[in-house]
This record gives sequence, structure tokens and C-alpha cells, in this order.
Amino acid sequence: MSDRIDAYANALFSVAQGEGNLDEVEDELFRFARALEGSDALRTALTDELIPAARRQSIVEDVLGGKASVTTTALLSFVVGAGRGRDLPEIIDRLVHRAAGAKNLAVAEVRSAVPLSDDQRERLAAALANATGQAVTLKVVIDPSILGGIVAQVGDTVIDGSVRSRLDQLTSRL
Amino acid sequence: MSVLSSVLASEGAFESHHWLFPETKEIIWGGLAFLLVFGALWKFALPQFKKAFAARTERIDKDLRGAADARQAAQQAATTIRSQLGDIEAERARLLAEADAQAAQLLVDGRARLDAEAVELEAKAAADLSVGQSRLAGEVQAEVAAIAAAATRRLVSSQLDDSTQRDLVEQFIVRVGASR
Repeated sequence: MSDRIDAYANALFSVAQGEGNLDEVEDELFRFARALEGSDALRTALTDELIPAARRQSIVEDVLGGKASVTTTALLSFVVGAGRGRDLPEIIDRLVHRAAGAKNLAVAEVRSAVPLSDDQRERLAAALANATGQAVTLKVVIDPSILGGIVAQVGDTVIDGSVRSRLDQLTSRL
Repeated sequence: MSVLSSVLASEGAFESHHWLFPETKEIIWGGLAFLLVFGALWKFALPQFKKAFAARTERIDKDLRGAADARQAAQQAATTIRSQLGDIEAERARLLAEADAQAAQLLVDGRARLDAEAVELEAKAAADLSVGQSRLAGEVQAEVAAIAAAATRRLVSSQLDDSTQRDLVEQFIVRVGASR
């Protein structure tokens, strides 16, 4: 199972690298994976074996709706059409880590309530590199549930600066 | 007229000299006959009489001794009965005293038990009350905390405008960058 996921991740990596837009594809795939994890309806639709593969692929295209690159859309349609929609988040995570590893970077998954500017991304990447001791590549996910602030995870290290966690601490203290 | 007078008369030798006194011969023969009868009585009847008298005396003594024994036995029985009556009275008094003592002890024990149960019930009620108060206080505290948390969350969410969000991100970057 793990070999098969690695095989898919390597295939996607090779295609994106061959197309020359690895960073863009990698970022779009990562955000799609997080969206897939956060939506039961989308996950059900893309993993239901009773839905024909063509229908599932069209769902992917409808969801992306031109907001992603052609390469990203094609790769996602390929994986979903192959019946690997259930493994899609893990395949993409392997792809992201492989791409980061190829550049000798660690993956920093950042959840923010609001979009980050390029300047903020650069300074946040530098700050995380300083905190963890290794250069990082940011994978930003917009997550309104954290209310405000940022939650960053690099490997097993989680730095939680979200308003939600502070409210949770306040609630438990009360 | 006696047989002896008749005999003397028939012989013609008897002659009375006074109408009141018998003839001398008659007196002699009468005296001899008397003596003869008296001697026979003395020899044969008197021992029997003495024997009968002695037996009667012995019987009477025996009866008297029996009566004395019976009287003594009756007195002994009366003494025994009186003693037993005294024992019964003493036993009755002892039983009554024992019953009184047991009743008094039961009363004391009952009061002590009731007091102990009252103390225990009071302590249990106090403990239940304390637990209830603690539980109620905890529930109220949890409810207040939940309400306060919800209110705080709502208030904070309403205050999170773009500027605040930007400040939060900046604070995070600065804090993480300084935390090596």
C-alpha cells in the first residue's frame, strides 16, 4: 500500500517537474488535499466506487473550475479516475515532502485564518527556519476555524499561535 | 347366800350369831377362797395385765414418739417451706432487680444507639449537603465558564477585523522568529 502511494507520489512529482511548474502544482495539490480532508461531501464523491470514473473526474474539474493549473487538474483527474481518491491526501503529502526533500527543505504546514502576503510568507518561513533550525517551504492553508493567528507544524513540532487555542485555554482555565 | 354358807348349813355345823356378820367358818373359808382367788389372780392375771399394760405403755410411747417425729417433721417441712418461700421471694426480687437492670441497660443502650444514629445521620446529611453544594457549585461554575467562554469567543470573533488579524500574524512571526 505504501509502495503504491509512493509510486503515485513519484509519478505526480515527475510529471510536475517535467512540466516545469513543480512549485505551483505542488502548492495547488496541497491545498486541494486539505480541502478534500475538510469536506465530507467532496471526499465521498471522489471515493465512491459506484460513481463512474468519468463522473468523478468531471467533479474534480468542476471543483477546480479553472482556479488551478492544467497540470494540477490533469494529475488530480488521473488519480481520482484510477480509483485512488481515498489515498489522494497521503499521495499529495508524499509528493510535497519529496519535493521539499529534493530542495533540502522541510515542509511547514501553516494554517491561517486569513491569507498571508508574500512578505509575511517570507518572514514566516525565515522565522520557522530560525525556530526549527532547518530551511522550510511553507504550505499555507486558510482555516477560518482557528479564528485568528497562525498554527504552524514542521515535522512533529507544532507552534500554535491561534486565537482558538487561546480561547480553549481560557475555557479550560475557567 | 354363798356356796360356802350353804355347805356349812347343810352340815349343820353353821350357826349365825348376828344377822349382819357371817359365821366364823364362813369368814375363814371365804378368806381362804379369797386368798386362793387372789393368789391365782396374782400369779396368772397380774403378769398378763402388766404385760398388756407395758405393751400399751410402749404403744402409747411409740405413738407419742411418732407424733413427736411427725410434729418435728411437720416443723421441718414448715421450716423448709418457709425457707423456700423466702428463697422464692429472694429469687423473685432478684429476677425483678435483674429485669429492672436489663430494662435500664436497654434504655441506656437504646438512647446511646439513637444518639449515635442521630450523629451519623447528621454527619451524613452534612456530607451529602456538602457534596451537593460542591456538585452544584461545580455545575454552576462549569455553566458560567461555558457561557463566559462562548461570550468571549463571540466577542473576540467580532473584534477580529483585518487589522487585528494582521497584527496576530505579525506577532506570531515575531514570536516564532525570536524563539530559537
